[in-house]
Formats: sequence, C-alpha cells, structure tokens
Amino acid sequence: MSEWMRKVLESKRAARQRLRALSFSEKLKLLEKLRDRSLAIAQSPLRKDRRSKG
Amino acid sequence: MKATLEVINRMQAEGIIRKYAIGGAVGATFYLEPLATLDIDIFVSLKDPHGSPLVTLTPIYDYLTSRGYKTEKEYLIIDGWLVQFLPPSGALDEEALQQAVETEVNGARTWVITAEHLAAIALRTGRAKDFARILQFVEAGVLDAAKLDPILRRHGLLEKWEQFGIKFLRATEPSGRENL
Repeated sequence: MSEWMRKVLESKRAARQRLRALSFSEKLKLLEKLRDRSLAIAQSPLRKDRRSKG
Repeated sequence: MKATLEVINRMQAEGIIRKYAIGGAVGATFYLEPLATLDIDIFVSLKDPHGSPLVTLTPIYDYLTSRGYKTEKEYLIIDGWLVQFLPPSGALDEEALQQAVETEVNGARTWVITAEHLAAIALRTGRAKDFARILQFVEAGVLDAAKLDPILRRHGLLEKWEQFGIKFLRATEPSGRENL
C-alpha cells in the first residue's frame, strides 16, 4: 500500500471515529441532513429523465 | 426526530403501545457513525386487550391516522420520517426489545436496541446490507463477544455467525470472533 493511500485510509478512519463519538442527538441531526439530501437526489429531474430512458 | 419520538412516547403513555425500541439504521447510528436511511424501524410490543395471539398494528394506525398522520405503503409518516412499526417476530426480537438501552434525544426519552441484538437481527435477516452493517459493528469494535455469543447461541444463530466469519472476516484475520 502506498504512503498516500495509507494516509487516506487513516484519515477516513479518524473521521468515522470522530462521528461515532458524537452524541445520539448530534448524530440524528446529521442523519436528517443525509435523509434530506437523499430525497433531493431522488426527486431530481435528471434522475427521473435517466429512469424514463431506462 | 425529537418530534417523531415524542409522538411515539405519547402513544406509549396513552397505552396504545407497550415497550418500544429503535432498530435498523437509526438504531445502529447510536453505536456507529450516522448511516443514511429514509425510515425508522420501531420494534414495538402491543397491548393485547383480548388475549388474542394475533398481533395487529390497527391500534397504532387508528391512533395516528385519526390525528392526521398519513400512511405510505407500510410506513406511517411522523414529522417527516417514514416510521415502520415492527411487532416482535420471535424470541430474538422480544429479547431485543426487553433489553433495549434507554437514552434521550434532545430531552426526549427513548430506547435503542443493543448493538449485539442489532447484529444478531441483521445476521438473521441476512441481506447484503445487513452483513455490511455487521462488518461496520465489528470494525468499530462495538460488539461485546461476552454478550453476543450467548445471544447467538440462544437463538440458533451460531452456525450462521460461523459462516459469516468464514465469508467476511477470516480473509484478513485467523478467526472471525477474534475481531470482536
């Protein structure tokens, strides 16, 4: 594994650990943001166009 | 989310439901980093006024729809969240519900299924996303083998766990359970 890749993985691990350490209330706030973004993506006309083209 | 839980707590206070606990991705978020999801799984034990062995979600639907909450497929929409109420489908769910951990969300009291029970339920369910969640639990080091092993044994899941370990954990480690 390259040094660059090792640093990327380490940084991802640290970010996940930081998120895990948040309180449940704080995590749920983030979860609501994730949900809103998922819904916005699902309702995007671009996505609907792509679906209709099959 | 707080408003959603307050509605569920009110149902509990008014005797529509008995004990409840959050499961699924929202429950897993209690132990892990936030996991994107559109719905909340609520494991719930229901009041059984007539001693019937048949479990029905009708009291929950009646309570909520009479107060203006809408339904969408198998979900009830409470404060913008799709909520699925799941009565226990067996001894594992019953136990998960009874042993759920009490916590609070911005002052609203609630309960979350333990990490070990969530892992056991995911193992039993056995979809790709369930296995992915178990791996997240293992990687995060949140499963306690001393608690998980008896649960798996009690509910006949040890063999499944061994198979899961061979398939997903032993590629990098000599033993799946050593990862816990």
